[in-house]
Amino acid sequence: MTATLDETDAMRVVAPGVTLRSLSEEVSARVLRPAPRWWWIGFGVSLLLLLVLVVAVAWLFINGIGVWGVEIPVAWGLAIAEYVWWIALASGGTIVSALFYLTRSPWRSAINRIAESMMLAAAACAGLMPILHIGRPGLFYWLFPYSNVMGVWPQFRSPLLWDFVCLLCYILMSLMFYYVGLLPDLATVRDLARTRTKQLFYGVIALGWRGSSVHWRRQRTVYFIMAAIMAPMVISVHSVVGLDFAGGLTPGWHSTQFPPYFFFGAIVSGLALVIMLTIPIRHGYHFEDIITEYHLNALGKVMLVGSVMLGYAYLWEAWGAYYGSDVATRTMFNARVFGFYAPSYWAKLVLNILIPQLLWLPRVRRSEILLFLISLGVIVGMWLERFVIVVTSLHRNDMPAEWGNFYPTLWDWATLAGSIGLFLTLFFLMLRLLPMVSIAEMREIVEQKSAR
Amino acid sequence: MSAAELYGIIASFPTSDAVKEAARQLRAQGIRAVEAYTPCPVEGLDALLPQRRTRLPLLIFLGAVFGAVWGWFIQVWDEMLNFPINVGGRPHNSWPAFVVSTFEFTLLCAVAAGFFGLFVSCRLPRLSHPLFAVPEFDAASRDRFILCVAARDPRFEPHELRHIFERQGAEAVAEVPA
Repeated sequence: MTATLDETDAMRVVAPGVTLRSLSEEVSARVLRPAPRWWWIGFGVSLLLLLVLVVAVAWLFINGIGVWGVEIPVAWGLAIAEYVWWIALASGGTIVSALFYLTRSPWRSAINRIAESMMLAAAACAGLMPILHIGRPGLFYWLFPYSNVMGVWPQFRSPLLWDFVCLLCYILMSLMFYYVGLLPDLATVRDLARTRTKQLFYGVIALGWRGSSVHWRRQRTVYFIMAAIMAPMVISVHSVVGLDFAGGLTPGWHSTQFPPYFFFGAIVSGLALVIMLTIPIRHGYHFEDIITEYHLNALGKVMLVGSVMLGYAYLWEAWGAYYGSDVATRTMFNARVFGFYAPSYWAKLVLNILIPQLLWLPRVRRSEILLFLISLGVIVGMWLERFVIVVTSLHRNDMPAEWGNFYPTLWDWATLAGSIGLFLTLFFLMLRLLPMVSIAEMREIVEQKSAR
Repeated sequence: MSAAELYGIIASFPTSDAVKEAARQLRAQGIRAVEAYTPCPVEGLDALLPQRRTRLPLLIFLGAVFGAVWGWFIQVWDEMLNFPINVGGRPHNSWPAFVVSTFEFTLLCAVAAGFFGLFVSCRLPRLSHPLFAVPEFDAASRDRFILCVAARDPRFEPHELRHIFERQGAEAVAEVPA
């Protein structure tokens, strides 16, 4: 199942000088050669941030979640906002790799490995957050339906459990999808490895892939079906995160639009993170021939589409509050837009909707600096959106006597910084150990091009 | 080296068109135990090689059915038989609430069936293979298209095949020790 290229696409998706050999050797060399200096610097900084997470989590486990700013009424704080934020970022990776595999978009092949690696790293951060949040982290395994002496199983009717099932299935499925796509590339690296350790390492994880026509046909069959399964899967995962909120009676959460609303956010923020990672890797690893302006242009367009859809959801969120007759919802929404947290509401509108509209201009999509900055803005804006959804909805609940503000503590921020550290550490490791461009799929594009 | 000690003989071709042409000629000559090793799937090559249909899509479907039944059963067993809770007189088999988890578990089992089915049907992992011993075989994972005639073919004759491959324009021909 290959990307079908028309004449002009083929010229732009790969630079003219790229051959099967140069492609295979160049991409593998990034893994086999000693790491460049920027990798060591980046990895070092990531490890430092990871250390922050270790300290923050240790302090949390020793003292309990009182070290965070969570209180009644705002009992879901940054951990939950960041859970949603991270899972949305992860979803973007699957959107690029699965959804655009099904559409046979030629730009997907060069960046799907970056997108999928990002997905796995972000999903790890997302999975961590609820465990930190539950307060009794040692008992999180009670979420699993397993035979136990208590005779009690989890409550399968609860959206929170649906969410747990979704996340668990999503991570397992993503790992399998990733590995099936990676296998031929690992064989390429194995055959180019010259030291004994690397030959052994890549030899074992390539499982003896030989690229026979039987292998290829079965691998492509399974990969295509997996992509067709992953696409609805990723939509369902983030929709169910939305259901967590929609299932609650809190004003501002109890809304039928939440599942698509959350998924739109996942498109924008996920694509933004893919862009933010692709641009530095493109230059750091000198992939300018393989990841061209064509790819960045396409990513920019998809992010713009996501931003427009998200704007639509924002509009209906406001419309629902004022059109409906629920006083609590309107009170909450007024407080959200004009109250203590108003700056975060308006900032998310500007960062997620207003500024990305610049992407309508082809000149902006061609500028890597602008693309990077807009994406950074979207990532921050989406963090603010999750913050607004979680915190402002709770701070004006149905009971005026309970109203109150939430103030994040140092440990809240340390957990945020630390989770970014965990993400970057995992991502830098994958960047070093695995080929960051899908060599086999790119070879297909080069082959198709030369056959013409 | 006699034919009995060989796994087969391989020939390496520079382009996908050359390998397709070579496969077509071998097929015309009635040689059956032919396999191609290529850097990427080659369109039209499968049809020239003797292959059985893959049943992997069926396996994935069966995985999905299994996942749906099992996922549903776990929930019904718990909420209806193991620990029924009366929620306002609503039915214990509250199926709308079970749909989400059943759906996710169905997809997980489908993907897992494809994942493990792929390895079983490709006979992987197999870390040691006669082909890996031949230096010329390495390039199949980069830019060379390799044909292999296995010694189990009744018409296997190394010298004759070497001549055939060389006539077809093979860059390198090598015998693969068993």
